[in-house]
Amino acid sequence: MGSETMVPEWASEPCIMGIDEAGRGPVLGPMVYGSLYCPRSYQNTLATLSFADSKTLKEDKREELFESLKTNDSIGWAVDVIDPKELSAKMLKKNKINLNEISHDSAMGLVDRALKMGVLLTEVYIDTVGDPGKYETKLSKKFPSIKFVVAKKADSLYPVVSGASIVAKVTRDRAVREWVLDETADNMHRNFGSGYPGDPTTKSWLEHHKHSIFGFPTLVRFSWGTCSSYFKGGAEVLWESDLDEDGGSNNNGKRQLKLKNMGFTTSKKRSEEIESSGKGRSRFFQARKLEHLSHF
Amino acid sequence: MEKGGEATIDLKRDGIENLSSRVHLLPCCIKHDGPTEVSHYFKPKPTGVVGEDGLPLQQSHFRGRLLEGTTLPLPPNYSGFVLGKKVSSKKSSESSDSWETSATFNDITYWNHDYVPSQNDDFFRAFHWITVAKALHTPVTPEELESSPLTL
Repeated sequence: MGSETMVPEWASEPCIMGIDEAGRGPVLGPMVYGSLYCPRSYQNTLATLSFADSKTLKEDKREELFESLKTNDSIGWAVDVIDPKELSAKMLKKNKINLNEISHDSAMGLVDRALKMGVLLTEVYIDTVGDPGKYETKLSKKFPSIKFVVAKKADSLYPVVSGASIVAKVTRDRAVREWVLDETADNMHRNFGSGYPGDPTTKSWLEHHKHSIFGFPTLVRFSWGTCSSYFKGGAEVLWESDLDEDGGSNNNGKRQLKLKNMGFTTSKKRSEEIESSGKGRSRFFQARKLEHLSHF
Repeated sequence: MEKGGEATIDLKRDGIENLSSRVHLLPCCIKHDGPTEVSHYFKPKPTGVVGEDGLPLQQSHFRGRLLEGTTLPLPPNYSGFVLGKKVSSKKSSESSDSWETSATFNDITYWNHDYVPSQNDDFFRAFHWITVAKALHTPVTPEELESSPLTL
């Protein structure tokens, strides 16, 4: 989403871009990266538009500023909405991708999109995620023609980043407000609160929507530490892919033995465990995890 | 078999619920045995992509993890049965060794965590046994034996 349907006339002039994020901390809902860009020659006017760090503005004011910047011909903008399902899935992959990496990729995606559109970006201002020096090096390596300014609190230092933070924050708030739950169970409601783990409304929503088997609706970021306190009392789930890692062994027999051990039929006879380990079984059956069952 | 009573398995299909396209094999162990609201929470979606082995791929999520799956029809002449222990009418405290059919199915959707299903998956390969078993168990006629080029 963004103002990309038409390439602005000024795209070939040297342009600046600000990038900021909204919804990094919350335990539910999407994380949104927003960008705002304009010709460098417009920079001084931009500073007069009373953009401020979106967190210091009231929601009404943010909405109003977003609407006004959308109709401003000298400004372009874009957002990358990262679904909570995608955040959970990436952070719980076998080879886990951490939130900083996801954030970096999203920001770089926004730069890439503007460049591909034909916007001549010369300077990009970004609120830092992780160490500013390392982040800057990473960005400069990927986009050598652009000067990057990576700073803490960039959203309150640079108007172009303040503008981007409004784009991101308004988009995130709307996304949460209009969220349609995938799950269709009864008694679900959408009174999510802010999504921050400390918010009482969010806490009570989580408490009400936890499920002993499925955990939570997919709006929730399962990879957040907050979630585990709600899972107490729920059914334990053990993943084959986690076991592979612990075992550090690709030996099929060993893996199968472990899998059997974690089963909930705990009163297995020893001989059956050996059978299940694949010992003495033809490789054909071992490789296909097939086991001869004489009684059940 | 175990001591006491005969074990029987009562396989039937008529008038029994067919669970086709609703049987899922997940790459994890859920320490729970019983019913739950699967259709309200587990929502597989076709990705529109057909894997390199010609398998139409699906995606779903469970406990925050991305699952990639595909639905395999059971081979011709095979059926899936969900069995439950027969409740015996006798006041016997001994658990019965008799089973009855609670549902049937004609396909299984199996899921991998993070990787696309392919013919190299253990589960997919398990079906090779059916071909092998057929070859092993098909009676050989004296004529076939004679015409076989193999000699001992």
